[in-house]
Amino acid sequence: MPGSKTGDKKTVLFLCKCSSNISNIVDFEEIKRWAGEKGDTNIAAVSNLLCAPDGKKFFSEVIKKKNVNNIIIAACSPKLHEKTFQDIAEKNNINMSRVRMANIREQCAWVTADKNEATEKAKSLINAAIKRSFLSEDLKRRTMKAYSDVLIIGGGIAGIETARTISKTGRKVYIVEKNITIGGSVMKTEDLAPSMECSPCLMAPILSDVRDDPNIEVLANAEITNILGFFGNFNVTIKEKPRYVEDNCIACEECFKVCPVSVKNEFHYSLGERKAIYTLFPGAVPASAVIDKNICKHFTDNSCDKCVSVCPFGSINFDQEEKTTAINAGSIVISTGFKPGDLAGFPELGHKSINDVYTTYELESLLSTNGPTGGKLKPDDEKIPASAAIIHCAGSMDSRGIPYCSSICCTHAVKAGEMLGKVYPAIRVFNIHNDLVFTDPEEHQFYKKQKAKGTTFIKCFDLSSIKITKTPDDEKIKISGYGFEPISVDIAVLATGFKPADDFKELAKIMDLALDKNGFFRPGHRILHTTASEQDGIYSAGCASKPVNAAAACTQAQAVAGDIMSRLIPGREIELEIFTSFIDEEKCAGCKMCIPACPFKSIYYDPERKISIINEALCRGCGTCTAACPSGSIFARHYTDNEINAEIEGILHG
Amino acid sequence: MTKPKIAISWNSSCGGCDESIVDIEDKILDIAAKVEFVLWPCAMDFKYDHVRALPDGDITVSLINGGIQNSHQEEIARLIRKKSKTVVAFGACAWLGGVPSLINLKNKEELFKSSYLESISVENPRKTLPAIKSKVDNCTLTLPEIYDTLYKLDDIIGVDYYLPGCPPTADLITDLFLKLIEGGLPEKGAVLAPARSLCISCPRNETKPDNFEIDEIKRIHEIIADPEKCFLVQNLLCMGPSTRDGCGCSCIKGNMPCTGCFGPADKSDQGAKMIGTLGSILKGSTESEADRVIDGIADPAGTFYRYSTAASMLGRKRKEDR
Amino acid sequence: MADFKPKIVAFLCNWCSYEGADKAGGQKLNYYAGIKIIRVMCSGRVDPYFVLKAFREGADGVMVLGCHPGDCHYRKGNISALKRMRLLEKMIVQFGVERERFMLDWISAGESEKFQKTAEKMTSRILNLGPLKLEGYVKRKAAQ
Repeated sequence: MPGSKTGDKKTVLFLCKCSSNISNIVDFEEIKRWAGEKGDTNIAAVSNLLCAPDGKKFFSEVIKKKNVNNIIIAACSPKLHEKTFQDIAEKNNINMSRVRMANIREQCAWVTADKNEATEKAKSLINAAIKRSFLSEDLKRRTMKAYSDVLIIGGGIAGIETARTISKTGRKVYIVEKNITIGGSVMKTEDLAPSMECSPCLMAPILSDVRDDPNIEVLANAEITNILGFFGNFNVTIKEKPRYVEDNCIACEECFKVCPVSVKNEFHYSLGERKAIYTLFPGAVPASAVIDKNICKHFTDNSCDKCVSVCPFGSINFDQEEKTTAINAGSIVISTGFKPGDLAGFPELGHKSINDVYTTYELESLLSTNGPTGGKLKPDDEKIPASAAIIHCAGSMDSRGIPYCSSICCTHAVKAGEMLGKVYPAIRVFNIHNDLVFTDPEEHQFYKKQKAKGTTFIKCFDLSSIKITKTPDDEKIKISGYGFEPISVDIAVLATGFKPADDFKELAKIMDLALDKNGFFRPGHRILHTTASEQDGIYSAGCASKPVNAAAACTQAQAVAGDIMSRLIPGREIELEIFTSFIDEEKCAGCKMCIPACPFKSIYYDPERKISIINEALCRGCGTCTAACPSGSIFARHYTDNEINAEIEGILHG
Repeated sequence: MTKPKIAISWNSSCGGCDESIVDIEDKILDIAAKVEFVLWPCAMDFKYDHVRALPDGDITVSLINGGIQNSHQEEIARLIRKKSKTVVAFGACAWLGGVPSLINLKNKEELFKSSYLESISVENPRKTLPAIKSKVDNCTLTLPEIYDTLYKLDDIIGVDYYLPGCPPTADLITDLFLKLIEGGLPEKGAVLAPARSLCISCPRNETKPDNFEIDEIKRIHEIIADPEKCFLVQNLLCMGPSTRDGCGCSCIKGNMPCTGCFGPADKSDQGAKMIGTLGSILKGSTESEADRVIDGIADPAGTFYRYSTAASMLGRKRKEDR
Repeated sequence: MADFKPKIVAFLCNWCSYEGADKAGGQKLNYYAGIKIIRVMCSGRVDPYFVLKAFREGADGVMVLGCHPGDCHYRKGNISALKRMRLLEKMIVQFGVERERFMLDWISAGESEKFQKTAEKMTSRILNLGPLKLEGYVKRKAAQ
């Protein structure tokens, strides 16, 4: 159309009555008259309900017959149907960028009582859409090859379960474990509440599975030093510390007998000891022992190599070196577990100052057959404890310790009574609590059963008033607090909560993720996607995003595995963000001011060409860099300066 | 062959632009030999009537510096436009309003009060203020009208080229003269300096890390600036990122941050762009944390539009008396 | 002033505030019709230039609404917006544009009522301040 105000665009304006939702208040005749007078649209087509099957057919026919290449739809919110119409347009070879909606329902007809005002507002919204549409540039759907391998950080039950589920599909899975062996916290206890399933029996076949699975590679005694990339294409750098024992070690333990150095065993909360050459438990994966360089006499004063001479396999190798490995993976799972709450700020609870005061973790470790004492609470003491008090919320719900409720420790506290009862059938148990938190019917049943067995549950309204004392003359431990008569018992057990693991902060920094106020990883969505993180392709399972029990950790692990498997299919490309930003390389001065603006670290500086470059695979399209660019060299696709400026003009001069 | 005719004229400016032409040193003699100056009030003796007598479009190129703030300047600017084939807005003031256009953040009354009544160097017991007409001994004296707003040159007359700088550098001026004589000027409307931000030429750019934060704004006299490190990294406001390249970084080489005299890098709003940039490097994630750092910028408009208030999106202080 | 119909341009982020405004529509929460919305992906996309441009083009008030701090769909685009807009607010005052003509606030996708209240608050602010009328006197027409 020569001389037309629409340039090379043949523009159609669809007006949707939305039954009568819009046309009741917006005067469509007036809009049509106005649009005709303005002359920058070629056709105005009115539909009763454009999103209905008939309406879509009408839409399709109009754009086909009239040979249009620019579409404005005045209807409901673009958030509802812009994609609907973009898809139809694409089927008719019209680029998605050419479909633009003016929201004259939610932001006009439904919020304006006056017909004139609504009609005038509709005009300016439509005008803005038209003005902007003339400047839109075609958008391209982009895909990229993706790695389908998965890297799991932390080989506790959550990490292991994720690995096992994913490896079944033939994908390669890497487990990076900080400790010398996988297994995690579940290995430190004998039974899992509330079912009281034997935990080593549960784990032993699982660990063997992992060991024998050709698709799972365990990198133990290792840590993550760097992560680059994005969903589908992460590059992870891992530092493996030397074990000084070769892989052919089968953990026959001959060397343990001759090693002259002992040290407290942190794996057992420092309750037992281990040698300078050690494993964590029988049947560990990887199986081989490790030499603790800090205490081994070969390293401290070169005075001992006894292990070398007794090893039947010649596995000892003092010359092993640190190894750095780079792994490409499509997804990353954080399953780094938790740390038990500590009681350093609660001297009144007598932990570590009074004998026979334990945390639930310590009690479980002592009563565990894998534990430091082979399952005996007091291996050197024949005296049978007659009574025990278990204090709930110890060190929790208190600003001196853990300010939140971990929601699992009540079950732990009940379990402590159950475990003591197994070893000492005649023991009298008191649980001192304020709130009682159980997260499922079985846990509650477990509590009821314990109560029925004779455990006394004592309500204390202010647990911060609890004091645990024992003078040298006392035979028993005295426990006092508001609202109950003091009791005297032989053992006190403190049910402490779940803290974020120590390395969360470092990992969050490496992965550029945020932690919540309690120090756990913030989930992608609190309801819809609790196992996702804020960064696409990085997931969390187990206690990474909140305290969970083993069963929930497994469920999360399987959810994560499912999510990853459905999105990363070997050989299939992944879709990338469409509305990315890009830099005009001729204009960019390399001032680097866009780099800190990017929330996704997708911009880097190329020192050779002296310009900044956006990695469009990482870009999520927020456009913050575009507003930060001081020389107008960055363009946000579909939201360019020109488009938005045209919209401003259109909306104000409509 | 007739020599190209050149006119050089000044408006609201300091004379620095005229000075900068002389600063091209002996090259001026080569140029003077090849062109004919028909007007250069600052350097030579001409009468405006001589210009009025010229046929329209007779002057090959006019270099006009300074913005327009009174009726006399407007009259001369229009006259020169009429007589010239090509007009170059010479220097920051003609292009963008320059430092004098900071007056746009005040009103005329405030200007008069400050300049004619309150300035400590003024002795004005009768409180006389400039007036268009005033009676003196039965005569009526007429003065040009001083405008309430300082206009950049292209608000008043059509401009073909813009030469940035306060003042333009000797290199850019020499280059301009060469192109005037020998040809090679770009398409009309162009700014005669690279459309990129100054950081590209800045010797300190390589010292700027990918990520940094300004946790407190310092002013240049408050610290001893490291002579090599990026000023922004040293908490000093440097306008380099939102300023056009082409000056040769002379201030920066003298250990002074850029104040922005080459104007915006693209044809945008220098202040808006600088604010957009600072938003991601100022420290703080709450309103009060942000305000604490922002408080260190005492005069944002004066800092960001030191040379471009007349060309800014808002242009001048809103008039209260409408 | 009785016939003063303010023009207010509101830049809303796609994920929170635009959804909040849509929800207000769904609940038929009426607000002043002169508030006209421009959708951007993130409040971090709002170039200070757009705000100035809106004033220059005749807006009597400008709003930028984003996700609440900590809830940004793009993590921290809204924090960049916060710092830009605080600085911009300080500057527009020097141009005689009252600080109250600009508003930065956070509206979540669920806060339809807050959106309505915020819109109404802005409307009454601008009604009190009267027209801005920047248009028309800033730039002279260039004569050739």
